[in-house]
Amino acid sequence: MTTTPTDHRGSSQSLIEVAGVAKAFGDQQVLNGIDFTAEEGTATALLGPSGSGKTTVLRSLNVLETPDAGTVRIADASVDFNSLPQDKQLRRREIAALRSRSGMVFQSHNLFPHKTVLENLNEGPVQVQGRTPEEATADARGLLEQVGLAGREDAYPAQLSGGQQQRVGIARALALKPQVVLLDEPTSALDPELVGEVLGVIKDLAQQGWTLMIVTHEVRFARDVADQVLFLDGGVVAERGGPEVLSDPQHDRTKQFLSRILAAG
Amino acid sequence: MPGSSPAPSPGRSPIYSEPVELRKGRRPSTRWLVVLILAPLVLLGVLATSPAQAASAADGDGQRVVRVGTEGTYPPFTYVDPRTSQLTGYDIEVVEAVAQEAGWKLKFVQSPFDAIFPALDAKRIDVVANQVTINPEREARYLFTKPYTYSHGVIVTAADTKGITTLADLKGRTTAQSETSNWAQVARDAGAKVRSVEGFAQAAELLVQGRVDAIVNDNIAVLDYLASTGSKDIKITGEAGDEVSKQALAFRKSDPALRDEANDALEKLRDDGTLSNISEKYFKADVSVPDSGELELEGSDTRSTPEVVRETAWPMLRGLVVGTIPLTVICFVVGMLIALAAALARMSANPLLRNPARFYISVIRGTPLLVQLFIVFYGLPQIGLKIPSYPAAIIALSLNVGGYAAEIIRSSILSVPRGQFEAATTIGMPYAQSMRRIILPQAARIAVPPLSNTLLSLIKDTSLASVVLVPELLHEAQVAAASSQQYLPLYIFAALYYWVVCWLVSLAQNRLEGRLERFAV
Repeated sequence: MTTTPTDHRGSSQSLIEVAGVAKAFGDQQVLNGIDFTAEEGTATALLGPSGSGKTTVLRSLNVLETPDAGTVRIADASVDFNSLPQDKQLRRREIAALRSRSGMVFQSHNLFPHKTVLENLNEGPVQVQGRTPEEATADARGLLEQVGLAGREDAYPAQLSGGQQQRVGIARALALKPQVVLLDEPTSALDPELVGEVLGVIKDLAQQGWTLMIVTHEVRFARDVADQVLFLDGGVVAERGGPEVLSDPQHDRTKQFLSRILAAG
Repeated sequence: MPGSSPAPSPGRSPIYSEPVELRKGRRPSTRWLVVLILAPLVLLGVLATSPAQAASAADGDGQRVVRVGTEGTYPPFTYVDPRTSQLTGYDIEVVEAVAQEAGWKLKFVQSPFDAIFPALDAKRIDVVANQVTINPEREARYLFTKPYTYSHGVIVTAADTKGITTLADLKGRTTAQSETSNWAQVARDAGAKVRSVEGFAQAAELLVQGRVDAIVNDNIAVLDYLASTGSKDIKITGEAGDEVSKQALAFRKSDPALRDEANDALEKLRDDGTLSNISEKYFKADVSVPDSGELELEGSDTRSTPEVVRETAWPMLRGLVVGTIPLTVICFVVGMLIALAAALARMSANPLLRNPARFYISVIRGTPLLVQLFIVFYGLPQIGLKIPSYPAAIIALSLNVGGYAAEIIRSSILSVPRGQFEAATTIGMPYAQSMRRIILPQAARIAVPPLSNTLLSLIKDTSLASVVLVPELLHEAQVAAASSQQYLPLYIFAALYYWVVCWLVSLAQNRLEGRLERFAV
């Protein structure tokens, strides 16, 4: 089965290492030097007020945003944005290598509407990674079963509910056999009654030992699932720790944020 | 991790992709684009250099091929005989007799009169056989043979018009003339305003409808019209001056040998009576000598309306099948390739791609198709780029479709949510692959309705190809209308053909949309 993450490489190093990552959009400095590490097999929750840069951090990990400075490493692939290679080919290759270490789940699923569920899952493995359709399909069926969508292989995304679509999105990310799964507010676009089924699937992933990076507003969920919590504010990591941070925050900003969120929830 | 060799996951091949700055939109990779842009250009280049015949080339038998420019819509001199669908008439038979005498092989090229001299200049034809009247302006530019027709100008008005009987009466009046004919000059010199028409039959129609006051034309053409139509609506009211006008074959200044051969041949034909026999056949008089006496014409086309429509239905269908439809299909396919390349170049981050694409789209959308056709067909030969009719029409129409469709394709690509491109990127797809497999299939669905409009326009725009001498549907209708003067039924019939084709296309569009709807969000 392919539903388990890749093995430990016997290294004492963290699986993910981010150092000094900075990014500005025009005049607006969004990230001001982000540093953190994440261990293999752990779930990291990124929290923070809107505009704090948590989504930008996530998108820097697979270079959907190109940082202006800093380094990003996932397993054996790293890119130093302070000195990107001049050669375009080489630069492309480095970024592609880093990108191939992760799979991404989007806030609004971004499934390919013109392809069936099975085709959505197989697109990357077959078209990009060059695996055989038979092998990829066998894996895809296993993944669909895991996210509770066995039998919906031939449906088009438009024929599924929002929660089902997001679970296909998760399966599509897993189908790439990534070393890290990046989840960008995976439940924010869902109707409240559909949130539970998606969170359930993500919890399962964490228990199976997938390395997860999750941007979320669901504080309770983060407390349940996360091994590590990063609280972002003003483009820096304001507080970092275990899930207990969420019950007993040390910094004022974190306290304010949590009290607001919990009061609203 | 510098130094350590990459340890790829099992079964994973290295993945290369464009470091796109997604916030700025989807930016095409340059190398891929260059290929895409070159492809249609090469295609057009092949078209442009394909079977362009050299002027007066020799064919396999060593016979000289001489291309004759003629209207085919000016009975009884040059027209398509409704009974045989063959080009015939006094001028046609004269030039055929000349060819036999001189040992030429003839190739007829039909063209509106106003396009004939440009065609001669552009070396698309070698001689004009179309009752070309010799005058000083033309003699300065072209070589003429000795005359083979002597005629005189007459003034024609509607039956109930009074008081226009001499050239002096034309002052301040409006006449209908072929713009570049000598009769237009005669009318202008008399102080008349000139409305430009294609051929005498059209002029006569304007006169009958009361849109112009008079026509100045050759007496023979007018007599033929009256005999053919039996029309009581127009009449000859007087002579347009007392000068006898002389008509002859016209050649380029650079072709004196050809002209001399024609002169020798005409001389022989005059001596052996052939010329006068041809004239007798058409006019019951000898118009090849200065004083022909009384003319008596039977009329070149005396068919009834149902006959005309019935006998034209087939040539029009042929024009549709061999002209309109292939032209549409080829131009649409080539145009789509150009459009895709232009759309992607227009979105490129590289100004060397983006700016030319912008310029191209702007020029195509900002100039009339007719002007574009004229530039390709009549303009380019003046800088040495001679393109035959059919390829010229294909080039102009394809470039036109390409310019319009480029904007449709561009906006369709931009209307695919950016997340689709991001999703493709995160599963490792490089730019070209994302376009091909993810973005374009979705853009295609959005583009179907507007591109169908482009296709429908193109079907109708192919009718403009008749002005660059492509024998398509409308051209056949024009030829038949000119000889029979049955405008309304013939043009309605032509419209019907176009409508049926367009209707079929919109049926296909509905089916296609239905198929693409199945994954609609």
